[in-house]
Amino acid sequence: MTTNEELTTPKAIGRGFNWQLFLQDNLTGSWMQTVTVLLLAIITGSYVYGKYEELPIVTAVVVALWILGIVSIIVSEIFHKPTAVSRWLKQNLLTSFANSLLTLFVVLVLVSAVNGIWQWSYVNANFNPAETAPEFRSANGATWGVLWGARKLLMTGWLEPIHSWRVWLGLGFILIMWLFTYITSRPALKEKLRVARMVLNGFWLLSPVVLYILLAGISEGAYNVTGTITGVAVLGAIYALLWSQKVIPFSWGSIIGTVVAWPLLYTIWWFIGNSGQFPPIDPDKWGGLLLTLIIASSVIVLAFPLGMILALARRSEVFGVPAWLIWPVAVAATLWGFTTTPELLATSRNLVEQIMSFWPVIILAIAYMIHRVFNGNIVAGVGTTFIELIRSVPLITLLFMGIVMAPFFSGEGVSIPKPWLVIVGYTLFSSAYMAEAIRGGLQAIPKGQYEASDALGFNGSQKMRFIILPQALRIVIPAIVGQFIGAFKSSSLVSIVGLFDFLGINRSIVSNPAWLGLRLELYVFMAIIYFTGSFLMSSYSRKLEVQLGLGDR
Amino acid sequence: MEFEGPSQSFVDEIIIAENVHKWFGEFEALRGVDLRVKPGEVIVILGPSGSGKSTFIRCLNRLEEHQEGRIIMDGIELSHDIRNIQEVRREVGMVFQQFNLFPHLTVLENITLAPINVRKWTRDHAEELAMKWLTRVGIPEQAHKYPGQLSGGQQQRVAMARTLTMQPKILLFDEPTSALDPEMIKEVLDVMRDLARSGYTIIAVTHEMGFAREVADRIIFMDAGKIVEENTPENFYNNPKEERTKLFLNQILQH
Repeated sequence: MTTNEELTTPKAIGRGFNWQLFLQDNLTGSWMQTVTVLLLAIITGSYVYGKYEELPIVTAVVVALWILGIVSIIVSEIFHKPTAVSRWLKQNLLTSFANSLLTLFVVLVLVSAVNGIWQWSYVNANFNPAETAPEFRSANGATWGVLWGARKLLMTGWLEPIHSWRVWLGLGFILIMWLFTYITSRPALKEKLRVARMVLNGFWLLSPVVLYILLAGISEGAYNVTGTITGVAVLGAIYALLWSQKVIPFSWGSIIGTVVAWPLLYTIWWFIGNSGQFPPIDPDKWGGLLLTLIIASSVIVLAFPLGMILALARRSEVFGVPAWLIWPVAVAATLWGFTTTPELLATSRNLVEQIMSFWPVIILAIAYMIHRVFNGNIVAGVGTTFIELIRSVPLITLLFMGIVMAPFFSGEGVSIPKPWLVIVGYTLFSSAYMAEAIRGGLQAIPKGQYEASDALGFNGSQKMRFIILPQALRIVIPAIVGQFIGAFKSSSLVSIVGLFDFLGINRSIVSNPAWLGLRLELYVFMAIIYFTGSFLMSSYSRKLEVQLGLGDR
Repeated sequence: MEFEGPSQSFVDEIIIAENVHKWFGEFEALRGVDLRVKPGEVIVILGPSGSGKSTFIRCLNRLEEHQEGRIIMDGIELSHDIRNIQEVRREVGMVFQQFNLFPHLTVLENITLAPINVRKWTRDHAEELAMKWLTRVGIPEQAHKYPGQLSGGQQQRVAMARTLTMQPKILLFDEPTSALDPEMIKEVLDVMRDLARSGYTIIAVTHEMGFAREVADRIIFMDAGKIVEENTPENFYNNPKEERTKLFLNQILQH
């Protein structure tokens, strides 16, 4: 051991302590340094003095530890025998004169902050849910009783208590699914439980429906025969299309499955509806954490695939509509449009309306855009236009559009519950940003990957599915998870359009006489919940990146 | 160990290129290239950089689109019809300068992905053939690694195994040794020599003079988008017909 230590200690240099160098390094290197150190010394000194009156023992201990640390470093330097502790102290806390002062100052601030929080949240706090009215509150302590007293509002808003068990059931369903997924995706079990994992994935696919039944319910009604036939026809048509494009091979099992799926699921749905176990819940009664989670998870689940489609659309290079087709159609439509112009002109009341009666010009403009900007590629044109339009509008505008304008578009007497409108508006918004993130990933894939997959004979959809998207999505995991976290936190914006989500429900809680003005307690609680949710998401994404990073170049 | 050669072709001339023109915007990269190749022939294309040799072989499996002339591969003409293109690409394998392996898949998955999804073989059959080819290129022990864990030479050999497992009739080599460290070139050339002798129709763009001299049936010298000289290796090196060829040979043999 001794020989080892001798080698690592700087004894070999054998230089004594040089006062001149020390002063230059720590104090007189520049006039700025001198001023900084002096200022820091004064602030720290006065802070020590101030804190000493409030927390005498703790302050004395901090100062004593600080001096002890400095002494231990000096001693170890003089005798050239640094211990693990003194080396760590020197490298991390007491590197120089100014840093030593800063350490003392920061430790004191931390101590007093922790002490303040401790005093407020525990020592002076009142935990009794019955004693939340103003006369029971202490001047400098929390009244935690509000969290228990208002728990129903905080968690589910104005949902009737008789429906609470459905929320619990939904929560239990998700948690059990998570647990099973976690167990079956262990590396040791991954191969053995292949079938179990497929069943589980099927359940995950069905989970939105299950949650919808639990949280929104199904109304009773007659068996919808036309709807069922239409559903079978649509699924059959999709099957035929995919088969004719050679995306899926033909087999009797899959075609029977496709035809039977819709009637079977609809019948189950219908039976659940008529059993009366899950009567409809008015979505406008959702509130609190429940509403936040419903909005956030719907947006996340919907915006991701939509964003992927938009990104692919924007980059699509499918053979576009040729110019000889665009222009005649556009000109014909324009000429037909101009036949309406005389009537419009005759009835116009001002200049704006006169100009607007020449609206067919817009058709020509659109034709020009499709032809020149997008080379006749309508898919890319629509995708790009949608993304750019949505991105140039603030989220709030979209939410207001959804809430205020939707009633004009929906028929007479039909009122769509606000949460659905908000989810639609927010999904459109989020998918545009998602699309741009995914497009970034697509563009990061080298051209050689496309060429190699072309040369091997893959068709377009196989190329995307097997080669391009797996790589592109891995690249954009951080950006996508950022979007997810954003969706979770920014869903609090819906309180502006009159929904009472987790943050918005605050307003109604603190206006209750029993909990009047207890904002701080509620905000602290919400901060903790929001932090936990976001932190879980981001740490999961880091784990996912490591897992998927196996084959990194 | 026994190996299958390429599958039998029933046409006299497996590659027919007639008066092929190709423009990149204003720049004319190919100015009327004609080439006819019989099944089993090994052709090496030489030429200075920018002469259009890579562009030409990339036109042969339609990674680039030619604008004029005709290209008929194994009896199928390359046109805008996407089904024709897919059919040709199944029969024509290409090995790239930059390997272009799929970094998110293991070596074995890289090789079997196309046979399973394009040729519609079973996984077992595809993996069996993949291991056969990995053994032939000398790296069966690397099957479960990722491309990023292999050396350049090994990666290029995996790329060859990937191409060959698809059982193509025609192989296109686009400067397969140009991105390799000198000590790894030999291992790749050895595989190429082996393939040339087992009856594949090969068109190779390469700067490896030794390889060209040894295995080529014909050497084609291209410059400025045209075929300048077409000759046997013997005559090409010792007795070139064209002035441009002499100049080129002088330059590359001098250094």
